Amino acid sequence: MIRRSLVSTTTLAAMIAVLLIAQAPAAGQVQSPATKAAPVKPTPAGGKSWTPPRTPDGKPDLQGVWTNNTVTPLERPKELAGKEFYTEAELRALAKQERERLAQVEDEGQPPANHSGVEGAPADDVHYDFSQFGLDRGQAKLAWNRRTSIIVGPQGTVPPLTPDARKRLAEIRAKAKGHEFDGPENLPLGARCLARPNVGPPLLPSAYNSNLQIVQGAGYVAIETEMIHDVRTIPTDGRPHIPESIHQWYGDSVGHWEDNTLVIDTTNFTELTPFKGAQNLHVIERLTLADEDTILYQFTVEDPGMWTKPWSGELPITKIDGQLYEYACHEANSPLANTLRGARVAEERAANKSAK
Amino acid sequence: MIAGVAVLCVLSLAAPPSAAQAPAYRAPRTANGKPELSGIWQALNTADWDLEGQAAAAGPVPSLGAVFAKPPGLGVVEGGEIPYLPAMAAKKKENQANWVKLDPEVKCYLPGVPRATYLPYPFQIVQSQNTILISYEYAGAVRIINMGAPTKAPADSWMGWSNGHWEGETLVVDVTSQNEDTWFDRSGNFHSDALHVVERYTPRSADTLNYEATIEDPKIFSRPWKISMPLYRRVEKNVRLLEYKCPEFAEELLYGPLRKKSSN
Repeated sequence: MIRRSLVSTTTLAAMIAVLLIAQAPAAGQVQSPATKAAPVKPTPAGGKSWTPPRTPDGKPDLQGVWTNNTVTPLERPKELAGKEFYTEAELRALAKQERERLAQVEDEGQPPANHSGVEGAPADDVHYDFSQFGLDRGQAKLAWNRRTSIIVGPQGTVPPLTPDARKRLAEIRAKAKGHEFDGPENLPLGARCLARPNVGPPLLPSAYNSNLQIVQGAGYVAIETEMIHDVRTIPTDGRPHIPESIHQWYGDSVGHWEDNTLVIDTTNFTELTPFKGAQNLHVIERLTLADEDTILYQFTVEDPGMWTKPWSGELPITKIDGQLYEYACHEANSPLANTLRGARVAEERAANKSAK
Repeated sequence: MIAGVAVLCVLSLAAPPSAAQAPAYRAPRTANGKPELSGIWQALNTADWDLEGQAAAAGPVPSLGAVFAKPPGLGVVEGGEIPYLPAMAAKKKENQANWVKLDPEVKCYLPGVPRATYLPYPFQIVQSQNTILISYEYAGAVRIINMGAPTKAPADSWMGWSNGHWEGETLVVDVTSQNEDTWFDRSGNFHSDALHVVERYTPRSADTLNYEATIEDPKIFSRPWKISMPLYRRVEKNVRLLEYKCPEFAEELLYGPLRKKSSN
């Protein structure tokens, strides 16, 4: 029997669970992008009208296990400025490149990377190879689409910060500098198993395990993200937001149906998630079944104190087989203890050296 | 004859239902004809303090006085006592003596089943035809109950593996593959990785459910045993399940000694 608590890191525990997922394709295979190449639209091309399946109470049935695993970055790379979509040929080339990257990673392992969560920290040389455990994004089902960035529009980037936000964030950074490893509260929220940016809202892909499950019950839609077993139970019965004075890591989501679309409105965030420093974050999400295996996921993010204008993104969410597994993060969070322990050892050594 | 029937009717109405009797209440139905269990529910008892019941006692933190003392409560174990194997009763006592140090709840670890049900926090049932999701406020714990053909767990986990089915008015959930790291309560009652729990959720009125859990673990107990309690619907207007992401609250306890010593 596999005992998660005996596994040295939480990530490894998750890796073992993923290894057991029967739906993982054989190594080296990347799903052909041909079938999902077009940017998804609520109604498929060809003029054929499509009626989504309904739950017994007549609502569009979004239920199932899904992934938003993608190669599309949130922001458009500089070299693609002004180009919102790849051509079909470019997308095929991208898929080939992805296959080759995966083949190389499987052959040689992943290059060293900065896993500390601290921007600019040197890459470590710890063996930490996602592909070995079936966690490389190329080994899971991918939501292919022709967009060059998740953020839509000619810019494809998060709009500029307001001058106030720039000043505030600079102050926060300056205060944090040199104290990255002082205590648990100085470490990134993900390393503390408190919140992950992929849960959002908006829902964004994670480096691995970009899986989610939707369950619809009377007056509620539940969205569970595998990382890190976070559930939003979203009322669709007209219930108001919770009082303004109560702030939560993932905010407070309320929803309603507009024809075939689930619209979710989220407010009441803390200042820490999912876009650090946004103080009055407001997220609107739209989930529309595009076909039986695809949800078109669209979102708009606004915070007038943070950004000079609202910004929007979209990406397809693709149905997968199997079910979610438990990602118990905090329960075996030895990396957090080890990070702090390492920092104390480094300080002690530095002190001893300077004393000599 | 007619009078005799009337007397019988009155007699049967007046007789209190025995524990074994099926409840007379019939819950509202979902679109596919099953009892509707959706809602936000909570236990209202001291089961999380001690399944076997306890007299009031001082809490573990003197400075908290009456705010975090042990409340008195009757037990929820049928027959009163948990049937430990003799050697395991000693382990339970040891756990109890080291409660604050050893209880996974103190560290905000996922609670396992059945403890998740009677922690002093609400939980929400989102009921669909093939899947029932239970979201617990404590630690953001969650379970997906598979209502289709039973499936087998690929690995042990904190919240276990749940397969459910309907028996008349009752949702029956078979829970296996829980790891051995969860406890049943703050009194050190524990189990091994051989734990097998069968839960029964039965509507008993519009706003109450009866909850039963049969607990089997041949490594720890001499026979299966059962707990039962009512669960109450949270009926407040606009009630919601809120976040109780407690890893943050356990950080000082778990990582405080590794904090950088203040240089001033």
